[in-house]
Amino acid sequence: MDPAIVFRDLQWRYEHRKNFALKGINLEIGKNDFIGVVGPNEHGKTTLVSAISGLIPHSYNGIYKGSIEVFGKKVFDSDALELATNVGIVFSDPESQFTAMTVEEELAFGLENMGFELAKIRERIEWAAEITLIQDLLDKSPYDISGGQKQRVAIACVLAMDPPIIIMDEPTSMIDPLGKNLIFEILRRLKEASEHTLIVVEHNVEQLAPLADKMLLMYEGLVDRYLPTKEFFADPSYLQARGVLAPESTEFVQWLIAEKALPASIDLPLDLAGGIEATHQALQRRSSS
Amino acid sequence: MTKLITVEALDFVYPDGTPALFDINLENETEEFIAFIGQNGSGKTTLSKCMNGLLKPTKGRIIVDDLDTRQRGIIKQLVTKVGYVFQNPDHQLFNRSVWAEIAYGPNNIGLSQSEVKERVIEAAQVAGVHDDVFDTHPYFLDKGLRQRVAIASILALRPKTIIVDEPTTGQDVRQSIEVMNFLKRLRDEEGHTIIIITHEMRIVADYAERTVVLGQGRKLLDGPTREVFSQPEILKQTFVEPPQITQLGQALVEEGLPHDALSVEEMKAAFKKNSAE
Repeated sequence: MDPAIVFRDLQWRYEHRKNFALKGINLEIGKNDFIGVVGPNEHGKTTLVSAISGLIPHSYNGIYKGSIEVFGKKVFDSDALELATNVGIVFSDPESQFTAMTVEEELAFGLENMGFELAKIRERIEWAAEITLIQDLLDKSPYDISGGQKQRVAIACVLAMDPPIIIMDEPTSMIDPLGKNLIFEILRRLKEASEHTLIVVEHNVEQLAPLADKMLLMYEGLVDRYLPTKEFFADPSYLQARGVLAPESTEFVQWLIAEKALPASIDLPLDLAGGIEATHQALQRRSSS
Repeated sequence: MTKLITVEALDFVYPDGTPALFDINLENETEEFIAFIGQNGSGKTTLSKCMNGLLKPTKGRIIVDDLDTRQRGIIKQLVTKVGYVFQNPDHQLFNRSVWAEIAYGPNNIGLSQSEVKERVIEAAQVAGVHDDVFDTHPYFLDKGLRQRVAIASILALRPKTIIVDEPTTGQDVRQSIEVMNFLKRLRDEEGHTIIIITHEMRIVADYAERTVVLGQGRKLLDGPTREVFSQPEILKQTFVEPPQITQLGQALVEEGLPHDALSVEEMKAAFKKNSAE
């Protein structure tokens, strides 16, 4: 299957900055893959996803070398309509993207601009509102709802457009634990449906890791690691040196393997349930030996 | 240990009639490191604003260093006793230079110019704000430094208690460790009591010795962090989960793991000890 996104030696320097923010990215992202992006701040995570969405180079000034193709077409040569059709992006500050008086109008805005018929618009809004659990907010003002609800509305706006690629840049960084759980529930539903390529930038590795097919570490403007999630977390000390913490369960089970309390062949757990199961096995092995 | 703030049977109702706090009793002493946790709307920020006198109790009272916060005309004294650092430093910074920002509080409480200067230099030094940015507009600094300027402007008033609202939100792992180690130094070396409001349970486990849990305006738990995280059922009422490694131990208590490990390192030690037995 052809990949959804291909980077070829992409370099980008923002105007008035000394250094390149992206220093030669080579990367392929498969269709309908779920990619988790981690790394310290200011190391290129947001720049990377902005280059996929076309915000770079179309909305920023700077120096652009190399290329990115989305579904075989160069982002550099694509117009706004093509980009909006292919890629939707959600930021950590949802208010920055609201313009309408009600949530429903907000959801309709993009669809009206694309020239959809009314019936189709209704259908899309209903679908997006259901997945993001905002059906009861449709007649409210997007400014009168909680931070977590605002973020779900922002996600619904992107889903309503149904782009094949959805990017979320730190979608949970401004909201409380309950709100975070709902965002991850939406991500879980989207992953299950497997109809979108999902790229999620997050510091919250404990909730991200169990969902991601692959993890990507951005470090000093380069793709430092890009591996299936279990392999990615197999070396917690490497990640720690680059400012990324593995889920605590994963880190502990990795240690059990290093201590030979578990065989190296076991499946590395990425969540609490898996961590409990693996630790239980280690305790059993020990009492039977 | 000296008592700093005493909250007695505090109820707080916002002017629009929304009740926010019910029957809160709380004391803090010198050199404590405390975390306030609980879901949004549980009353963490309201309680903090009552403790520094920004909000007055609807019922009950708050005594800060022998001052009742309900008294009139004591705000100038209160700001020198309890400092509050906003979650977003940009909500707090409004002066045109870093120097003016840090000097604002000391000027306002009527200190002489030489005292103001001394306070600014001292606070900037403690907060790691170097003199080469004194003339810079705070908005041109990166977020970590803006936050340190916000903290310096509070430090310049020399409050014994400093409340910091979500110090690590939006920060990456290294930045979080940096700001938390800084707050720890303020406690260890300068003797301040630090209260953080946070949703990050790994931060709570690593730094706070005492944790206060709020839920729907009530105090649900108040004690050593280790004991607080040992009561997941109560934490659940306010949508808080202990750190993952704590939960892992709790699921395997019957097999000999501890119910109150606060870090992966503690769990490793417990596993080894358990193996040796």
